[in-house]
Amino acid sequence: MRQIIAVSIAAGSLIILADRSQAADRDGGAQLAALCASCHRPDGGDRGIPTILGMGPEMLTGAMLAYRSAERPSHIMHAVALSLSDEEIATVARYLAALNK
Amino acid sequence: MALAALGPRLAASEAKARVVVVGGGIGGATVAKYLAASARMIEVTLVEPKPHYTTCFFSNLYLAGLRSFESLIHGYETLARRYGINVIHDSIAAIDPAAKTVGLKSGPKLPYDRVVVAPGIAFKYDALAGYDEAATQVIPHAWNAGPQTKLLRQQLESMEDGGVFVLVAPPNPFRCPPAPYERASLVASYFKRHKPHAKILILDAKDSFNSQDLFLDAWDRHYQGMIEWLPAEFTGGIKAIDVRERSVKTASETFKAAVANVIPPQTAGQLAQQIGLADQSGWCPVDPMTFESKLQPGIHVVGDATSAGDMPKSAFVANNQAKACAFAIAASLTGSPQFAPHLFNSCYTFLAPDDAVSNAISFEPVAGTIKIAHSFVSRVGESAEIRRRAAREAEGWYDAFAHDTFG
Repeated sequence: MRQIIAVSIAAGSLIILADRSQAADRDGGAQLAALCASCHRPDGGDRGIPTILGMGPEMLTGAMLAYRSAERPSHIMHAVALSLSDEEIATVARYLAALNK
Repeated sequence: MALAALGPRLAASEAKARVVVVGGGIGGATVAKYLAASARMIEVTLVEPKPHYTTCFFSNLYLAGLRSFESLIHGYETLARRYGINVIHDSIAAIDPAAKTVGLKSGPKLPYDRVVVAPGIAFKYDALAGYDEAATQVIPHAWNAGPQTKLLRQQLESMEDGGVFVLVAPPNPFRCPPAPYERASLVASYFKRHKPHAKILILDAKDSFNSQDLFLDAWDRHYQGMIEWLPAEFTGGIKAIDVRERSVKTASETFKAAVANVIPPQTAGQLAQQIGLADQSGWCPVDPMTFESKLQPGIHVVGDATSAGDMPKSAFVANNQAKACAFAIAASLTGSPQFAPHLFNSCYTFLAPDDAVSNAISFEPVAGTIKIAHSFVSRVGESAEIRRRAAREAEGWYDAFAHDTFG
């Protein structure tokens, strides 16, 4: 058992900075962005599914509101946007926009 | 002592909390990754006997010759290297909730502050006469991806043109509700290309199935006359499997197969039964906010093994529950604020190689269980372009989802 603890501590000391999308979550932004990451690559790859990186908070918020009203078509994003409050949309947009900096 | 190895910079109050995650499928891998990434004060150990994970989702594309087997395989190296997760390839002998230890088969006991169990599904062989673990070597289930999937592919490839592929679909609830019918659709696309005289017979334990209108429409458009679906009310139900004859006996008739695929009735993985996480239904009731077991406090359960209200058993749901669980555990162990989870499911389903549909469902915790809040599904009659785009999106989704889960 001591050996296993030693092994796990060695592994722990090798921690490389994890995705910034999962850093300490003060306003719930990281938890909201975790939902995005089930379909959108956080490193910006966009094979088949558009990237959500490289946009400012206004653009992201505008897109989410357009999905919510179904002005932009996508039943997946419509369901996501309907499940988020205005405040949550603002929080996740701020969080994702900050990842670009 | 081992703790001294941490060095003088780490005060006693900063000692790491320990979380042990049991099971390295989608739920287990995701919870380990998000815990390790969310708080560096948490030391995460992931215990999984297999050296890598083969996804059941998208394995129907492999069965149809549209995707390589290797593309379904994901290792744990990134979780260990990038996130510092201690990955141990071993099985679990026991979990002791009083001593808070997870006992490994090889002997050691791992101490924990929290433990997350993600045992997936087990097959109820006693619920289907004539079908057991030995029978799977002749008539595969191919419902845990791996050698079973390869066996079914080999059998489909060596089947003569004009043969009948019999697929036995399970009773609810089971892993991935549209998948038996996606399997029939994609195998039909393979037959259409390589064995145009072959037929597919689905013998169902149910009287209806997930997205039935979308499938029936697609079978008519793409594979006219090739797929026949017989509900339980027509056959009187599945009674027995005859492995030697490669036939399926229903209450009304016996159907002989050239190739058969029996997807057995399912229950929560064996470990869940063994340590008292499953109730009489065979599945594990959980708190909808934290995914802590309602039967064994201090033990969390995520993924297919859970009984989580309206949430279906899908890889997306396992990943989604794992995140809710990881953020709840991180908040409780580190004292950071806790936010309500966003419970969601989305699945892409292939009706043909360039014809895919999707659904999207949001859920909310209501009175101790989980209810559907909003649900949207593709519709019959959508343009071919919309369906082609969904098929392209599905490929991109797989790539992003595997990255989200395994690093």
